[in-house]
Amino acid sequence: MPEEKDMSGKSNVGESVDAGEENVTSSDSAVAVQVPSLSYESPFTVVDALPPGYSKRPAGEPERNVISFTIDGADVRAPEGIMLVDAAKYGGVEIPVFCYEPKLGAPVGACRMCLVEIEGIPKLQTACSTPVRDGMAVSTRSPRVIEAQNSVVEFILANHPLDCPVCDKGGECPLQDISYGWGRGKSRFAEPKRHFEKPVALSPSIAIDRERCILCYRCVRFSQEVSEDYQLVLLDRGADSHVGTFDGNEYVAPFSGNIIDLCPVGALTSRAYRFRARPWDIEQGGSVCSMCPGQCNVDYTVRDDKVMRVQARENAAVDDGWLCDRGRFAYQAWESDARITQPMIRQGEKLMPARWDHALEVAAAALKKSGPRTAALAGGGTTNEEGWLLRRLMLEALGSPHFDSRRGGKLDADVARTLTEPAVTLSVPDVEWADAIVVIGSELVDEMPILDLRVRKAVNRNGAALAVATARPSSLDDKASVTARMAPGRDDAFIQALLAALAGNDVGDLASRAGADAENISQIAGLLKNAKRPAVLWGERMLYASTGTASAKAICNLVAMLGLAATDGAGHLQIPVQANGRGLREVGVLPNLGPALSDSATQGMSSDEIADALGDELSAILLLGTDPILDSPDGARWDAALRAAPNVIAFSSWLDPATERHATVVFPAEVGPEKEGTLTHPDGRIQRLRQTVDHAGEVNSGWWVLDQLAARIGVDFGVKVVHQVTAQIAEGVSIYAGISSNEIGGTGVRWQERTAASNLPAPARSTFDLEIPPAAPQAAPGSSSLRFGTFRSLWSGADVENAATLAPLVTASRLELSPADGQRLGVATGDSVTLTNAAEGKTTAVVALRDAVPTGSAFLLDSQDDGLRRIAAGRPELVEVTP
Amino acid sequence: MSVELPKPTVYDPGDDVVEVVRGPDPGGAAGFYRAFGETLRGLKTTLGRLVEGPVTIQYPEEKTPVYPRFRGRHKLHKFEDSDLEKCVGCSLCAAACPADCIRVVATDNDPNDPTSAGERYAAVYEINMARCIFCGYCEVACPFDAITLGHDYELADYNRSDLIFTKEMLLAEPVERTPLRREGE
Ligand code: SF4
Ligand code: SF4
Ligand code: SF4
Ligand code: SF4
Ligand code: FES
Repeated sequence: MPEEKDMSGKSNVGESVDAGEENVTSSDSAVAVQVPSLSYESPFTVVDALPPGYSKRPAGEPERNVISFTIDGADVRAPEGIMLVDAAKYGGVEIPVFCYEPKLGAPVGACRMCLVEIEGIPKLQTACSTPVRDGMAVSTRSPRVIEAQNSVVEFILANHPLDCPVCDKGGECPLQDISYGWGRGKSRFAEPKRHFEKPVALSPSIAIDRERCILCYRCVRFSQEVSEDYQLVLLDRGADSHVGTFDGNEYVAPFSGNIIDLCPVGALTSRAYRFRARPWDIEQGGSVCSMCPGQCNVDYTVRDDKVMRVQARENAAVDDGWLCDRGRFAYQAWESDARITQPMIRQGEKLMPARWDHALEVAAAALKKSGPRTAALAGGGTTNEEGWLLRRLMLEALGSPHFDSRRGGKLDADVARTLTEPAVTLSVPDVEWADAIVVIGSELVDEMPILDLRVRKAVNRNGAALAVATARPSSLDDKASVTARMAPGRDDAFIQALLAALAGNDVGDLASRAGADAENISQIAGLLKNAKRPAVLWGERMLYASTGTASAKAICNLVAMLGLAATDGAGHLQIPVQANGRGLREVGVLPNLGPALSDSATQGMSSDEIADALGDELSAILLLGTDPILDSPDGARWDAALRAAPNVIAFSSWLDPATERHATVVFPAEVGPEKEGTLTHPDGRIQRLRQTVDHAGEVNSGWWVLDQLAARIGVDFGVKVVHQVTAQIAEGVSIYAGISSNEIGGTGVRWQERTAASNLPAPARSTFDLEIPPAAPQAAPGSSSLRFGTFRSLWSGADVENAATLAPLVTASRLELSPADGQRLGVATGDSVTLTNAAEGKTTAVVALRDAVPTGSAFLLDSQDDGLRRIAAGRPELVEVTP
Repeated sequence: MSVELPKPTVYDPGDDVVEVVRGPDPGGAAGFYRAFGETLRGLKTTLGRLVEGPVTIQYPEEKTPVYPRFRGRHKLHKFEDSDLEKCVGCSLCAAACPADCIRVVATDNDPNDPTSAGERYAAVYEINMARCIFCGYCEVACPFDAITLGHDYELADYNRSDLIFTKEMLLAEPVERTPLRREGE
């Protein structure tokens, strides 16, 4: 394939494409010799082929019959009803396409490149939109078809500049390949081509060259039908048609970057990648994105040992071939000057660069001294291997059980096990085929973006009914048949009300305690009751609220009441706050539970307790890729706690507040493509991170540093390469028993589908007694107090801030208010207001009025700003907003 | 002490051999001819050259002229009118190069202060002359005639890394040191 592309890269140089001639003649003769009907076993004839990553067909997906048809004289078997383009592949026949892309949904037949001749149909048909039927006889190389293919290529090139040498797509361009393979090689057009201003910025990240656009509609369909941001449209008509945003503004959307991968020509290019490399200059390295729990599979494009671009690596069971813009563009930050690439030690007020062995000595001495009085927190990007060694370091070398991968309080053992039961856990493909989906307390597009697309797909293509129950308006509201709003942080009351509605009890009181509308709750209950395969998606973030324990128990009851265990394809999916939240929990980075959620001999402190104990009972803390000041809902409290801690050892890539202000020793941390190890997807899929570039500067692997620290304290972990750690996990974590890198492979494996899954300890109980939740916070009528919630944006974090094309999207401060409240308080979008939290003082925030925000609530963006963090400290229920 | 050596045996090829060709036995008239006659014949050639005079080319003072299509040191070209680089950094030469000795790193062209005539230009353009086999494929591949092979063959250097020619070196007008062969020469 690459050779072919190289050749086409050369062929198109200059004014016209001198190609295709040979192809045409050779296939002409192939047609002349009438091939008798062969019964031939093609290697492609795997009729029950599943998409990559699928181990079985999702319960809800209808089965397809197998039919047989002939293509170019060969008998081929294929699933019934799939499009001819796809069916042809079962016979090893390639039909050229531009506009057809099954990921985008129903075909549109815009480009006519896929014309084929079907026996009995007088006109040529588009193979991309003709479903295959039993007994069809299809020809893709008859003289009529060849003539049509040649003409379509000629027609498409009539207005195409063919400036391949300066075009970023050159060498990996379907238009080059198809012109070369199916074109006539000559053009009869002497007229001038249409002209547009050469590349203009479609957004900070994407450049558009409208001359090169072949009007295939892919990008527009993506925006209108897949991500549903409705921004891209085709403007003007005829030869003037071009792609743009409907309002002329920049195309800024969470998934905008996918149109770069979709565009079959060089019309849409990444501004960060433009001209950086040619396909023959690069290597692609497959790995997994660890920036959010979505864990999309990615390909890193590497040149000169640097990541030049990130592309989706399709895994239908995880990401469906899409990526969010953070995953796609944040790589620019890895090369930024802001990154820490050498160890540092605090001397006086300042962090000074240090040699590795010195830094390790200092850190090991500090840890040894504090021994069982050491605490540790693991961050989202921490791999299972690092988590495992962190656990061993803490228990074996230091004798301290005080480590946690979650924020907030402890997770009850029975709750954890109930929610982890394989029978009740949804896989991502199950979400797609569920018939009712309820999203509770999570804004998917910010917390696990890729799942947002999957939910839309379920609704749009498979007719799932969607209900959204959140405090803050969600981007999925438009797709939902029921939307319910609740008071911020009152998920427990809401779920209890839902339980009551499902049981047929009165919901009025509970609904008012949740600050929600009883009618909506009954509707959601009705929707769930009628569903054959209900899917409950809920945000782990709700567990970090003051009512978190109650929410977790309520979720368990909901799982039991819906009988999710009994139905294949029904279940719940927890949307973790941390990218590898599930994996870290399961390898035992919890204060109260061991590997595989087993009972632990030791009981340590949870994050919350560690924050309180630092400086008194605890004298040192290890921060493994996390800054609790930014990552926890209670940042201000952590700021104080870390200040009190004599030793803070941070593994970090950035000078985040915890590192900059409090770290005594800093180890430079690896970023995505430098890592090797495994992660566990929220649905239990164990996936592999593979190292694709060398460590920047003096960076070393996290697992190696943990091993070195242990060695200096006097414990030998016996690991020389990271795979040995994986092997230890395969031995020590019963539900992962026997797992190996080979078995995980490129698309991962769900541990629930392995026999070792039965090793999960059964919960002592799976339903819980619930207390009556407290009443929803109520502001005095007419006062300027509002219910207060926080939210996190996709566009936040050091990697976004340091990526050149994403940085413009970072918002420093945003307080969302309803227009009614805005009018009452006399503020408009863009105004500054003063926020007052009785206990923590005042600060200012910038207002954004948003129609969908329920009156009486205010939502503050989690931000880096200390003042704003202080307002959120102690998770107040009401804040005062004054102009 | 004497060691008895095995008697040398004459190699007997047995039935395998069809024919054995041996030289004439030395001695007699044949031996005389071989000693003097053949030697004189050789000397005739040697002495004959002597009168022709020396033909050694006094390199480096004197250089062998090359044919016009000789492929030597590369040169990158600029447009004569605008002084913009012809190379747009498309990397096609690098793709064509069988020795993999061209490295192109392109970047955006600043429209207000363009380097090349295209949207992009080669920020880095290097040819490793130590590896180049002077096949001329790069010249053939280039869609803009930006790179051509010149006549200069004097590329030796003391340091291998000096043989990596940078863009500046390739753009610079090379010192014309190599004489061209005249018509019919
Ligand atoms: S899109 Fe670019 S690379 Fe593809 S044919 Fe057009 S100019 Fe050439
Ligand atoms: S910009 Fe690309 S994807 Fe969009 S219509 Fe044009 S060719 Fe198709
Ligand atoms: S002459 Fe041949 S070997 Fe030398 S740089 Fe050009 S393509 Fe490469
Ligand atoms: S020399 Fe020619 S082929 Fe090579 S990068 Fe420059 S323009 Fe492209
Ligand atoms: S691929 Fe069939 S019409 Fe475009």
